[in-house]
Amino acid sequence: MSTSPSPLLELSRINKSFGPVQVLRDVDFTVTAGEVTALVGDNGAGKSTLVKCVSGIYSIDSGIVFYDGEPISINGPRDAADRGIEVVYQDLALCDNLDVVQNMFLGRERRTGLVLDEATMEELAAETLAGLSVRTVKSLRQPVSSLSGGQRQTVAIAKAVLWNSNVVILDEPTAALGVAQTGQVLELARRMADNGLAVVLISHNMNDVFAVADRVAALYLGRMAAQVPITEVTHAQVVELITAGRSGDLGLPAAGSGDDYGLNGARG
Amino acid sequence: MSAPGLRAGPSQEEIRRHNLGALLRYVHINGATTRAELTGELGLNRSTIGALTADLATAGLVTEETPRASGAARAGRPSLVVRPMSALVYTYAVSVDVDRIRAARVGLGGEILDRREAARDGDTSVSETVAAVAAFVGQMHPDAPPDAVNMGTGVAVTGTARTDGGLVQLGGDIERFAEPLAEALSAVLGGDPRISVGKVADLSALAEHSRGVAAGCGDVVYLYGDVGVGAGIISGGHRVTSHGGYGGEVGHMVVRPGGHPCGCGSRGCWVTEIGEHALLSAAGRDGASGRDALLAVIDAAGRGDGKAQAAVRQVGDWLGFGVANLANILNPRMVVFGGTMRDLYLATAASLRSRVNAMVLPACRENLRLRTPKLGDDAALIGAAELAFERLLADPLADPVDGQGGD
Repeated sequence: MSTSPSPLLELSRINKSFGPVQVLRDVDFTVTAGEVTALVGDNGAGKSTLVKCVSGIYSIDSGIVFYDGEPISINGPRDAADRGIEVVYQDLALCDNLDVVQNMFLGRERRTGLVLDEATMEELAAETLAGLSVRTVKSLRQPVSSLSGGQRQTVAIAKAVLWNSNVVILDEPTAALGVAQTGQVLELARRMADNGLAVVLISHNMNDVFAVADRVAALYLGRMAAQVPITEVTHAQVVELITAGRSGDLGLPAAGSGDDYGLNGARG
Repeated sequence: MSAPGLRAGPSQEEIRRHNLGALLRYVHINGATTRAELTGELGLNRSTIGALTADLATAGLVTEETPRASGAARAGRPSLVVRPMSALVYTYAVSVDVDRIRAARVGLGGEILDRREAARDGDTSVSETVAAVAAFVGQMHPDAPPDAVNMGTGVAVTGTARTDGGLVQLGGDIERFAEPLAEALSAVLGGDPRISVGKVADLSALAEHSRGVAAGCGDVVYLYGDVGVGAGIISGGHRVTSHGGYGGEVGHMVVRPGGHPCGCGSRGCWVTEIGEHALLSAAGRDGASGRDALLAVIDAAGRGDGKAQAAVRQVGDWLGFGVANLANILNPRMVVFGGTMRDLYLATAASLRSRVNAMVLPACRENLRLRTPKLGDDAALIGAAELAFERLLADPLADPVDGQGGD
């Protein structure tokens, strides 16, 4: 709904190396509130590294991170969490033996005095799920081990939304799901953005990307090949960006054209 | 006040009626709202809101109460919360789908209070359908609280029927259902003439526009798919209802001259390329039908079945052609994919969007959002209820509501 042109999170010329291997090279990446930004790229293109830099797990070698227009430094996961940046990893990081509410508040439990405030936590969990129009999770007190894959994904996403998050990054949320559950999770991602969050969707599935994304950012061998509105590209072009780093006028300059550090991704 | 020759301004009575309607509509759509918020949202002053709320409360349409104590303590007297009388003011909503009949009692505020459902197939005649609806309403009616008031009935009918060949039949269903339903319901409800009928696609569009994914969006195309494909169109905030309500048959726009024969007698209609039958046939599953069969093809495609993948891609491409045409003609801000179109959209978004991006003019494409419904299959029922509530919202105090429910 809000198509505010100013990005909520903006990464500028990010570099990251592991020893002699340069994993991210002058990467620009912007994330806007109210939008789903799809982050695509081949295995090893640097998607996960980029996400880990944003979420404070890795430090960056150089580059600037702007949050709401202000340069910030992210020195650890706490810093990212304080800014409302949450990541839902592929393994979901849920505890099978705990119920839905306990999982959503894990490590951040509400207390009244010495005891846990179960009633408030349950109410907040129910509110969050209702706000996302989640109808698939029937009981908030069932252990996570009894949930299906799609329901688990839903709980993990709701957990990320619960903490007044502003940026929610979903790492391949549909990779392990069947058709019906994939649809529900995609709709969930879309609804979060329509509710005003900035959502980053990492996916290999082009249908997922085209179904919910407003913008698609393609990484190619550690460089941002292009970040373009979804209304401006075709399936074939995105595949070319992923596999070759460029497609027609889009993407990185052809090899040998000089400027090795060209900022060709800055089209968003 | 008015100069000669100019139209006289609205009378005080008209203004009051309009304001009453606006206030009731606001709480109907948005739920419980504080008076302070209403003052801001409706642009009326506090005493006017107070007087309007009092009138609506006297009529039994809303209640006022002090807000719950929870939340941050705020200075001053808390603003009263105005709440629609969901349990006591209701309509009946009916949806006649291809494979089922559904009826519900829907409260003011859009809450489904009670519901019934039965299967229906191609052989179910209009009179049998009508009898089933009347029976459902007859069952739900005694369960309503004795002081509850019925504001009328809204009916959503599918524009298509499943025939032996799985083909699409164009029916004059609105007329076929309106009169017998009025008669049958009159018998159950004691002569209620307030029956409104619309097509499923139209009323689903209305529901999503009122309280779903397209809330606040004035230009919407809702594509609804079952055996056939129809569209509900909202333009500039108004429903495009067309003459007799028979418009919106986008499934029969010809996209492929000389293409497959269509149940309507023509050839190359859009539905022959994107309908359930088209996908199943392209995937080599001619005998199958229904949503589950469709999902099975999509699932097979996801698992790497080459034939299913080709079928899904092909249908997505054709889906894109039609959506592109609609986008260029109507320039909607949003296209909503409902019914089986939801599943198709999610499975074919890449080829669909590529086609749209290649064919739609930049001005129409820039702000085009493609969405799936928020209300799911309930949209038709909720839309039917909205249609039935329309009379009340246009003039809330036209019918005396108090104490009428008992008779």
